[in-house]
Amino acid sequence: MRFILRRLGFYLIAFWASITLNFLLPRFMPGDPVSRMFARSLDRMQPEQLEALRKLLGVDDRPIWEQYAGYLQNILTGQMGISITRFPTPVTEVISSQIGWTLLLGGTALVIAAVVGNLLGILAAWRRGSALDSALPPVLVFIGSFPYFWLAMGALYLFGVVLGWFPIRHAFTDGLEPAFTAEFIGDVGAHLVLPALTIVLVSIGGWMLGMRNTMIATNSEDYITMAEAKGLRPGRIMLRYAARNAMLPSVTSFGMGLGFVVGGALLTEVVFAYPGVGYQLLNAVQGLDYPLMQGLFLTITAAVLLANFLVDILYVRLDPRVRSN
Amino acid sequence: MTQTKFLKSARIAAAGLAVGAMLLTGCAATGNKSGGTDAAANASAFLTIPREDMGTFVQNFNPFAPTVNPMVQQSIYESLLVFNPAKGNTVPWLATDWKAADDGKSITFTLRDGVKWSDGQPFVADDVAYTFELQKKLKGGYEYLDGVTAQGNKVTFNFNKPWSPALSDVGQLSILPKHIWSALADPEKDANAKPVGTGPYTEVDNFQAQSFVLKKNPNYWQPDKQKIAGIKMLAFAGNDGANLAAANGDVDWAPQYIPNIEKTFVSKDKDHRHYWFPPTGAMINWQLNTTKAPFNDVDVRKALSMAVDRDQVTKIGMSGYAQPADCTGLSGNYETWKNTQVKDTCTWTKHDVQQANDLLDKAGYPKGADGKRTLKDGKPFEFKISVGATSSDWLSVANVISQNLAEVGVTAKVDSPDWAAVVAGYEKGDFDSGIVWSANDPSPYKYFNTTMGTASVKPVGTKASDNYHRFGDPKADALLSDFAAATDQSKQKDIANKLQEEYNDVAPLVPLFSGPEWGAYNDTRFTGWPTQDNPYATLSVRAPSTVLVLTSLEPRK
Repeated sequence: MRFILRRLGFYLIAFWASITLNFLLPRFMPGDPVSRMFARSLDRMQPEQLEALRKLLGVDDRPIWEQYAGYLQNILTGQMGISITRFPTPVTEVISSQIGWTLLLGGTALVIAAVVGNLLGILAAWRRGSALDSALPPVLVFIGSFPYFWLAMGALYLFGVVLGWFPIRHAFTDGLEPAFTAEFIGDVGAHLVLPALTIVLVSIGGWMLGMRNTMIATNSEDYITMAEAKGLRPGRIMLRYAARNAMLPSVTSFGMGLGFVVGGALLTEVVFAYPGVGYQLLNAVQGLDYPLMQGLFLTITAAVLLANFLVDILYVRLDPRVRSN
Repeated sequence: MTQTKFLKSARIAAAGLAVGAMLLTGCAATGNKSGGTDAAANASAFLTIPREDMGTFVQNFNPFAPTVNPMVQQSIYESLLVFNPAKGNTVPWLATDWKAADDGKSITFTLRDGVKWSDGQPFVADDVAYTFELQKKLKGGYEYLDGVTAQGNKVTFNFNKPWSPALSDVGQLSILPKHIWSALADPEKDANAKPVGTGPYTEVDNFQAQSFVLKKNPNYWQPDKQKIAGIKMLAFAGNDGANLAAANGDVDWAPQYIPNIEKTFVSKDKDHRHYWFPPTGAMINWQLNTTKAPFNDVDVRKALSMAVDRDQVTKIGMSGYAQPADCTGLSGNYETWKNTQVKDTCTWTKHDVQQANDLLDKAGYPKGADGKRTLKDGKPFEFKISVGATSSDWLSVANVISQNLAEVGVTAKVDSPDWAAVVAGYEKGDFDSGIVWSANDPSPYKYFNTTMGTASVKPVGTKASDNYHRFGDPKADALLSDFAAATDQSKQKDIANKLQEEYNDVAPLVPLFSGPEWGAYNDTRFTGWPTQDNPYATLSVRAPSTVLVLTSLEPRK
């Protein structure tokens, strides 16, 4: 219990530090949102409208500490303000309408990559020198080292455009009304295949190699030899004895990955026109949309910290050595 | 949709190699849909348009929103008149006629009879007056406008000075229904989710984060021109996705920039796919900060301009889609205003390395032994050209200019941080030079006012929103105020000619090329598009003239 409380305190401080950074970073960037909007609209906006817009959007010139106090208060009360680039839509609405798709895409890809990658790693280490062990890791690492954008465009072109197996854009077919019907869920699933597949492809090699390497170290431990000497079934030794202990680093990576899912897969969203918060974040940064940026950073920070906290707790269960510390 | 099981890893690897091979050999496989040639299907089809800079939509149809949803100002709300830059003509729209007072201090519009809002209420003069009140209150601007009076079917705009540029200003504002907007507590912050307008397609249907449909306005004033069933907008987080949709034949209209359009778009269906890039966008300039030496010297500005090879700039930087500027500084949008004499006797916008060298020598910027020029204080003739990092086309324009300048011994470094940093430099006036767009309006008043009118010059350090190069010319001021006071067009033309002569003399900035207005279409399902031979509008989907296209298209029979 004391361990968990101590960790909790640490996370609170980390949270404060990151929200303070969230506040400061955008304000160090040159320009203000209204000038940015003006510049991006090219000649479509009247210069004399800038002042009125500044006032409307609340681009304030209050002293920075006063803005900071207001910002902290808003965070504690859950008010994230109104998005500037999407004015007058509240930040919470912009984020909540899209974060579901981000979680679906990132979560699916993460789970598939982690589960399949770890299983392959376990098998590869268990059968060292087999075809699986000698051929698959280099191939996967090779694919993983492609620039993601290129790989995604290639997959989109081949499976979407040329072969026509999968839809090439959006989260579901235009014109469908979202509903919990088999048709809609199937449609969402079909739209999810290519974006998720490409993320899995580039990340699976890392999972597999990581697991394989820890497994190999674990396999040479005395207790494995002992288990073999006792005549236990190889499958039981592999999963219960070796894999369970070799899994700790993977658990950490999974927790981290879970946190970063919230940040969205920016490139995936751009290539497959998938709705999500990654592109929204890019847009917010480009438009100097402070409220939206802060809202997104806050969500990401909270998710990363929460995921880490959960991993910490899980660790206590998985590894008794942590407790005695 | 094809249901496919998880692919085996070997197959994936093979596929990856196949993609690579295909890209290497440049194999252009087409995934074209057979396209609906069926007349009945076309009649019920929606005109599908991609929006390349919005990854998702929010249901907000408020025209006061800074990032306004697509089609709000093109299909839902209409204006009193529509200016068509492709032909340089003005089409009466919600007003049938207008007349400026003899003293130039007011304009009276006669409204069209029988126009209704989409909710069935009649469109009245009060709506126009209210819209301007609201616009002035919420957004500011219109300093010249004293008031708007509505009487019967006439609306009179009164100015505090003779002000002819007002026609395009007030004539092109989207008119809102008073009976809806006056009932809103906070019109600026209302999402206006169910808009009521006079436009051809106003009824929002099936709104999703990445697509929505606008269906026919049941009370439109030209029902015979609503020949398509509706408009469908699709959201894309960038040009690539939108271009893929266009190449794949999934959209009817492709208004975004498509590189190598002949090959990537047209070649897949030559009979139905066309593009047209009229040079009616804003003039794209290379602006030199005239508060800094040596850019305050007109000879230097002209010499640098002569060193620039505009053919190379438009060919390499703009894929040959743009047209080089001439000494009038006016883009293709102002073709009818151009002073042909200035245009024909043009010197300083023509590529001439010899002349540029001579002029720089004469102005007192000698070439050293290393072939590089020095400034009057002995420092090397070196400066930066700022361009936002994301504008790849303008970035190559800047690179071409930098190479051109090296030929005359001037060193220009291309500086490409984020656009926010670039614009911050323009606004404060601490930049050296940069690639900048210019004002684009039906009359050339604004262009000249913001390139050489002293009123638009802000001191360095004070935020400027135009005339970033900070050049003011009292001679131009006199001409500009004459222009604003002139009520008849022939007189305005005379003054515009003189303004161009003055521009030619002082060279306030270095005009590069007329910005093209991108537009491509696929007429498999809809016909009646504007073309070079029939330029009744441009192919832009964000211009005021877009409504002309929406009311001209019809399903293919």
